[in-house]
Amino acid sequence: MISRRKTVMSVAAAVSMAMMFAGCGAGGNSADQKDDGSMMTVTVYDDLANYQGVQKGWFAKLVKDKFNMKLNYISPNVAGGGSTLFDTRSAAGNLGDIIITGYGSGRGSKLVRAKLIDDMTPYLSGMSNIKKHKDATDALNRQIGQKSGVWAIPGSVSTRKPTVAGEGLEPTFGPYVRWDLYKAIGYPEINTLEDLLPVMKGMQDKARAESGDNSIYAMSLFKDWDGNMMNNVKQPACYYGYDEMGFVLAKADGSDFESITQKDGIYDRVLKFFNEAQRQGLVDPESTTQNYDTMNTKYKNGKVLFSFWPWLGQAAYNTNENRAAGKGFMIAPLKDQKIFSYGATPNGGTTMIALGSKARNKQRLVKFIDWLYSSEGVYDSGAQTGGAAGPKDLNWTVKDGKPVLTDFGSKVLNGGKANVPTKWGSGSYTDGISQLNFPTELVSDIDPGTGYSFNATLWPSEIEKANDSPLNKDWSEHMGGAKTTMEYLEKNKMIDIAPGATYVQPDEDSRISTLRGSVKTEIVNDSWKAVFAKSDDEFQKIVDGMRTQTDGLGMKQVLDFDMKNAKDQDKARKAIVREYSKSGADAASK
Amino acid sequence: MESQSDASTVSLTKSGPDRATGLKRKNGVARNHVKKDRGGGQSVRRQGFKLWMLIVPFIILSLIFSYLPLFGWVYAFFDYQPPIPLSESKFVGLQWFKMLVQNPAQLHTIAQVLINTFAMSGLGILTSIFPLFFAIGLNEIRTRWFKNLVQTLTTLPNFISWVLVYSVAFAMFSSTGMINQLLENLRLIAEPVKFLDSDSWTWIKMLLWSLWKGLGWGSIMYLASISGIDQELYEAAQVDGANRWQQILHVTVPQLMPTYMVLLMLSVSNFLNNGMDQYFVFQNAFNLKHIQVLDLYVYNIGMGNNSLSLATAISMLKSLVSVVLLISVNAISKRTRGESII
Repeated sequence: MISRRKTVMSVAAAVSMAMMFAGCGAGGNSADQKDDGSMMTVTVYDDLANYQGVQKGWFAKLVKDKFNMKLNYISPNVAGGGSTLFDTRSAAGNLGDIIITGYGSGRGSKLVRAKLIDDMTPYLSGMSNIKKHKDATDALNRQIGQKSGVWAIPGSVSTRKPTVAGEGLEPTFGPYVRWDLYKAIGYPEINTLEDLLPVMKGMQDKARAESGDNSIYAMSLFKDWDGNMMNNVKQPACYYGYDEMGFVLAKADGSDFESITQKDGIYDRVLKFFNEAQRQGLVDPESTTQNYDTMNTKYKNGKVLFSFWPWLGQAAYNTNENRAAGKGFMIAPLKDQKIFSYGATPNGGTTMIALGSKARNKQRLVKFIDWLYSSEGVYDSGAQTGGAAGPKDLNWTVKDGKPVLTDFGSKVLNGGKANVPTKWGSGSYTDGISQLNFPTELVSDIDPGTGYSFNATLWPSEIEKANDSPLNKDWSEHMGGAKTTMEYLEKNKMIDIAPGATYVQPDEDSRISTLRGSVKTEIVNDSWKAVFAKSDDEFQKIVDGMRTQTDGLGMKQVLDFDMKNAKDQDKARKAIVREYSKSGADAASK
Repeated sequence: MESQSDASTVSLTKSGPDRATGLKRKNGVARNHVKKDRGGGQSVRRQGFKLWMLIVPFIILSLIFSYLPLFGWVYAFFDYQPPIPLSESKFVGLQWFKMLVQNPAQLHTIAQVLINTFAMSGLGILTSIFPLFFAIGLNEIRTRWFKNLVQTLTTLPNFISWVLVYSVAFAMFSSTGMINQLLENLRLIAEPVKFLDSDSWTWIKMLLWSLWKGLGWGSIMYLASISGIDQELYEAAQVDGANRWQQILHVTVPQLMPTYMVLLMLSVSNFLNNGMDQYFVFQNAFNLKHIQVLDLYVYNIGMGNNSLSLATAISMLKSLVSVVLLISVNAISKRTRGESII
């Protein structure tokens, strides 16, 4: 009897002890096990991915055939909750086997300090694609405070001059309208931003009258990308050469730095513009609650008539069929625009790919990363929003020494749907696209293998084909015969190229971050309220309230910090221009 | 073989009398005790230790879930920035607490958050009588199937998570939701009414949602107590000529009061714990000012703005307010009823 009681008690004690320790999972370190080449699932922590889970389709098959790996994405974009996922995973000591994240604001150096990423040097023998980017990895080392080693490789590395636009045929930002409707209302002139209002009103009325569908709106906004400011409000500011650095909007050429709360500043102007549009009934009332996906679907269904970016409106709506019918998004230039353009970045962008310190079979992972930096890797992995042509022999082939798209490629790259041939696996092409969403090399760069760009829209054959559609023909006629948007913008000096210096924000004091947190909440929320204000008085009250509140919270401290960074960034831009003009940039500009 | 069977009969006969009467068995147990006690204080202590062992699991559980988390307070005194571990973080003393009070705008925000917390909890307590009325009403329904149907339908929402409740709310009340579509088609409104993304009546809306979700569930306890009311009371009331209404007023309600008081006390003690999931799913840029309760504010600062140390400091505020509440309730109780717990 007594012995049984004892057993019960010891079991109870054991259970409670077990419960006590259950929370503290012991992380076994199997890092140095020998690679037997068997199938492994690789956890990819990817800040850029818009997909969570295991990679599917043709890219999955490709990676399996080459490396016998499955990619399992951990995506903060999908999970939501800001940096929660990053924080919890890094606190647990294992972020992932492969890590794709920004290295600005001290994140890169923190990852090294917290031993979450590993130096790739021991695994680099024979990895020529990684080694050829030594300049970029060295520059990254400087940013994350390391003297030697290859801790990570930045993305979007380019072999071109920092003073040329890093984009392809289209800039990153631009006022894109549904050209068919713009045509229908007689191509009204747009002298400046506010002139867009009557244009949008006309287009919306026309579209609604034609289709009888009252759920068509000129503009649709969304909140997913709100950070230091309301993201949508920043976009028209980019049409005038501004880009953000914290709470500062800085011009690409360094001629103006202004606070987003500045009275009568550019942010203020855009807020007013949006509010005016909203009061005229041009803004989708679902803007306040929808997410990017919902909005993207609206673009696909032709329910939105203005796009802040070509890669949204054009990608969603300019299918081969629509273009043949003369429908699609094209830029309708504002006469006074000076669109911000990111210069090519010889030292890469601000996002990096790194090797997780707890990963198994590191050599195989480094091989995979090296492959991503090969020409083949760029074609295959940069096809999602990056715009690379996709896999050779499936999407394109070389004919007479020039790359041309296959019928399949032409279809899928222009928004069409098709299943891949069995040789390439199964499922639709779009579902099987690489979800890494990390362009290793700048996609508009030249592939040394073909002598033409990785981006199919830049191939002569494609430019010719594109300009064959009624949509592009009509646009070209009204743009003084320009063949592409970039050509038009460059000819008319409507573009402001920010030299591609790789500048990342330094680590900020946590007090600044905390202040920034409360200030940006205020700015973002008040911006939304201001856009949806019902009268001028209400609008002014909200905007004034925002200024008093942010001043009161101590925005000035944060602003001083941002202002310094913006100016440092400008210095870095000027320095890289000098560097390249001195060293006879021709060699590098190939 | 034989000896074995012998042994078994012996043991049977031995235990026979013990089993036969409870009295004898009792004596046996008593004798045992006496025997042990004679062994000295050591066995008493051993017995005490054994009994103590019985509560050990619960002590450990409360240590783990109530006291161990308090260790997390140290984060409020460090400059903790993941992924740098706490051991390598800088000790900053009271920096975060100073930051909370450094400017009027910040203080104003915290005051607003506390007002929201008190308002929503206060409204919750004010309406805590509703489930009681609902239970009485339900009890008066004589048609059995209808009563069951109503009870099931009102209890179900309790098991739906707030996320799903929000998606239902979104489908019905968003600017292109069912209600707006209906009103527009009936030509009652020209443009959609902003039920979700406006800051008017935020507290009341939140109260209505939580009432809808919790009413049926909250009435279960009262239904149980109603079935426990002595039927003789009703019979006596009927003999005295009371009608149904008077029976409710003079029998049911007074009989339910003790249950109500207990539940009220429990909800007062949970005053600050008005949770965050409901407010988290319903929050947006437009209603944030009045929907942000303490728990949600802590979450938004810690997770949303990535300031875990500051969020810890603010969450300590919750404990402070709780202690103040406890002391004041205790004082009231002492004065009115002469009883207190501390």
